[in-house]
Amino acid sequence: MAKIELEEVKKLAKLSRLEFSDKELESFVAEFEKTLEYVNKINSVDTSSVDLKEDTLDAENELRQDEIEKSYSQEQIIKNAPQSEDGAFLVPTTVEEGGA
Amino acid sequence: MYKVVIGLETHCELKTSTKCFCACKNQFGGEPNTQCCPVCVGMPGALPILNKTAVEYAIKAGLAVGCKINEYSVFERKNYFYPDLAKAYQISQLEYPLCVGGGVEIEVDGTKKFIRLDRIHLEEDAAKLVHSKTGPKVDYNRGGVPLIEIVSMPDLSSAEEAVAYLKKLRSTLLYLGVSDCKMQEGSLKCDVNVSVHKEGEPFGTRTEMKNLNSFSAIFRAIKSEAKRQQEELEKGNKIVQETRRWDDVLGKSFSMRTKEDAQDYRYFPDPDIIPIHVRPNYVESISKQLPKMAQERAQIYVNDFGLTEKDAVLLTDDKYISDYFEAILQDFNEPKFVCNWMLGEVFKKLNALEQEDTEILISPQNMAKLLKLYKSETIGQSVARKLLDELWGTDKNPEEVVKEQGLTQMSDTNQLEGIIKAIMDENPKAVQELKSGNNKTMAFFVGQAMKKTAGKANPKLVNEIVQKLIK
Amino acid sequence: MDFLKLSLFEIKQKLESNEITSEELTKMCFNQIKATQKLNALVSTCEEFALSTAKKVDQKRKNGEKLGALAGVPVIIKDNINLEGTRTTCASKFLENFVSPYTATCAQKLLDADAVILGKANMDEFAMGSSNENSAFGPVLNPVNQDYVPGGSSGGSATCVKANQCFASLGTDTGGSIREPASFCGVVGLKPTYGRVSRFGVVAFASSLDQVGVFSRTVKDNALMLQVISGEDQEHDMTSAKMPVPNFVENLKTDIKGMKIGVAKQFFDDKLNSEVKQSLENALKFFEQNGAILVDVNLPSLDVASSAYYIISSAEATSNLARFDGVKYGFQAQNFDGIIDLYFKSRTQGFGPEVKRRIMLGNYVLSSGYFDAYYRKAKRVQKIIQQEFAEAFEKCDVMICPTVATTAFKLGEKTDDPVAMYLSDIFTVPINLAKLPAMSIPCGQDKKGLPIGMQIIAKQWNEQAIFDVANFFEQSTKEAK
Repeated sequence: MAKIELEEVKKLAKLSRLEFSDKELESFVAEFEKTLEYVNKINSVDTSSVDLKEDTLDAENELRQDEIEKSYSQEQIIKNAPQSEDGAFLVPTTVEEGGA
Repeated sequence: MYKVVIGLETHCELKTSTKCFCACKNQFGGEPNTQCCPVCVGMPGALPILNKTAVEYAIKAGLAVGCKINEYSVFERKNYFYPDLAKAYQISQLEYPLCVGGGVEIEVDGTKKFIRLDRIHLEEDAAKLVHSKTGPKVDYNRGGVPLIEIVSMPDLSSAEEAVAYLKKLRSTLLYLGVSDCKMQEGSLKCDVNVSVHKEGEPFGTRTEMKNLNSFSAIFRAIKSEAKRQQEELEKGNKIVQETRRWDDVLGKSFSMRTKEDAQDYRYFPDPDIIPIHVRPNYVESISKQLPKMAQERAQIYVNDFGLTEKDAVLLTDDKYISDYFEAILQDFNEPKFVCNWMLGEVFKKLNALEQEDTEILISPQNMAKLLKLYKSETIGQSVARKLLDELWGTDKNPEEVVKEQGLTQMSDTNQLEGIIKAIMDENPKAVQELKSGNNKTMAFFVGQAMKKTAGKANPKLVNEIVQKLIK
Repeated sequence: MDFLKLSLFEIKQKLESNEITSEELTKMCFNQIKATQKLNALVSTCEEFALSTAKKVDQKRKNGEKLGALAGVPVIIKDNINLEGTRTTCASKFLENFVSPYTATCAQKLLDADAVILGKANMDEFAMGSSNENSAFGPVLNPVNQDYVPGGSSGGSATCVKANQCFASLGTDTGGSIREPASFCGVVGLKPTYGRVSRFGVVAFASSLDQVGVFSRTVKDNALMLQVISGEDQEHDMTSAKMPVPNFVENLKTDIKGMKIGVAKQFFDDKLNSEVKQSLENALKFFEQNGAILVDVNLPSLDVASSAYYIISSAEATSNLARFDGVKYGFQAQNFDGIIDLYFKSRTQGFGPEVKRRIMLGNYVLSSGYFDAYYRKAKRVQKIIQQEFAEAFEKCDVMICPTVATTAFKLGEKTDDPVAMYLSDIFTVPINLAKLPAMSIPCGQDKKGLPIGMQIIAKQWNEQAIFDVANFFEQSTKEAK
């Protein structure tokens, strides 16, 4: 039986930027264990000989040429924004310092 | 005695025509969100299309610093949430970067040192987050601009070395023409990793400072962080692995987040971008296109122009200066004369301006005209200096300025004799001193003559006339 | 005559011979949409746009201008395909009001072929599901029997074709999302080779597996539709392949003599419903009687494909869905404190439970410490499955198996058990992992009258073989009826 701790589920929720009630979290644990048990079946396959490298595109001949195309209008870009101001997306709250 | 260990992650925007993963214009500034398409804003359904030139520029950079170019290269997603990151992941590289290894040689206080590189990879820039009264605003014009991250090994051991390393990188990238490297516009910036340890002991815990965007900030941030860490250790405290923010105004750094709440970026290969195959013959053809770098140019300056090695190095250190120097020579082929002027007057002027990004605000054509006037003794040195100031930031023709303001050097013997006689009459004591063999007094007469002629007197002629008159 | 019941080719002919105008036909379709509204097959319609397109095509026809391959034919596209000026909701509350600023390549190709797009089909939210019960706008009902699910995630796209609301539709298939609903609703559904159709403008679920495909009432209709939407899209999609698009319709063969049909025992194990099994065996017998050669092939790792699939698809989905943060477009929650809280609240309120479940699973398999054991291992298993299929296709031209182990299940029957739900994909997900083309075509019905689907699989880029076999089967069985 795959085992997963409540704390781990909470961490995943945080990483996912999703909130769950305590009850939801509890049921998540049970469900997750079942799902993990299901996906753990992959361990039955011997994959030691597999090379994970994928097919490639040729860098010299198959990539996009560096030629400018017309951008979209500012209006098209921001028209779906919940909030905007002076052509920019407005973040309607404080932004904690950080990023990458 | 503590040893300081520094590693730099240098981010450099590439000056391609278009962005890294779409055909929108790659240009600094512009009205917010006017250089954007669904890809830039991470619209649902938009897909990235890799720019060939961005790959080529990254390879050029790698070749210029001796990297090995990976034949198989993969783009990965670095996942984290932040408003400047449209898709909530940055397309970057992790396991298979374009370039690995290599290094640059730096020189500090006459000592040369080789700084190894870990890798150079290609990634996309984040958007611009601007703070306004109503709240932070996001402008995606910069989002998706290609940049290379150059990761050094922890081979640097002082702030001086770090700055020398960065200047060398900057010079190299400018020579390649792959980036503007304008720190003020953010096209070149640095994350700095610093740790300290006692000699003979293993490396200490490192901290990281992000987004440093001037040489002086980098210099001061490293000094400050090394000092802070030493003080912590002296107090018996442990260094916490953390990310710190450098406040250049306060001259202090502040903790942003510790390792415990460090982000889990969950890198994985971007399924929208097919891995690329960089064939050796392609690398070779790029390698053939590499421009002459600083060292090669310096060699030419020595061999063909007869400059000293030291002067040649000074002139070629910054591609901008070197290009400027060569542009003057196009109109005025007097390398030694131009070199002396550049290293003397122009460098003095640039140092006084303290710009982060070098810029000479007189066209090389006008500078050549100025120097012709000077060399032909149509104008004297002091007028030439004055003109440098006066022409700066304008496109005035020096020939016309000289004509309009009557700055032509006074070489009329009769006129000068009259002026010098008057000076001698006013300063009998100085005449006596000169007669008694005190040659230093000559300078006094030259100075006085300059004063009376608003700097136009030909100093050589003044000298001759004074000599003649005291006989 | 009931024009709406005709095939795409038949209606094309009626339009060409001016027996009906596209405008009249389009109006009929909208009437049918209204009459069958209870099925909830569509999220939105674009009546004005459709009628103006139809009129334009009629005018062009009148003028004798050159017309596209789908001139005047009403079609519907899944609601995860962008069409400029229309809403693209992905059946999610998050995108309820999102109006596309651009058009997906596949939709553009339909327009370029003079097709009339009527509206956007309902689906499982962000294409995650096998029953179409995960839509924020309510479940789609199976047009054959409304107590049953139509399958998912392209349930709306299958239903609208079966219910004669249009003549063909586009869906997307990440793990069976075209073939399973085609099977449950009794229509023809094709998932082409990965890379055959551009994904540009199609809202991603799992980028390395997603593929746009076609629902139709006949095989030949399907072939024509695929011909129209296929092709390299160098400017917009790096994963679209540089492969010539054959004229599938002209190349259709009329017999299957000597064709080798692979049968893998792993597809016919005890999980299989006996009526489905019987139906498939009859079909195989039919092929054999008509000169095809049945060949045993082996796919030993087939039963773990679904596990690998859920790891890979969830990982990619987690990352693909992270952009929905409530700042640039889509749903923004009220009352938040700080940007992180805004993210939490917008995403929590904007996404449905199945989407959240997959995001969580995706983050689990990508997070540090688990990445190698899950994501990497699953990618390795995927390679093994690809190899096994490649070896199998050395021995045969196509493979045949059931599309789903059962017929459609009842609404609400499996909603509480995600793993049971995942089992409905076990025959379809390996095909996505192997990047192969596959089609589901009706091959009978069970005692309840629910359709049974047969899956025909070919090797990469060989959709033609699928069309050939399927067309032969369809034509022969039609004659037999």
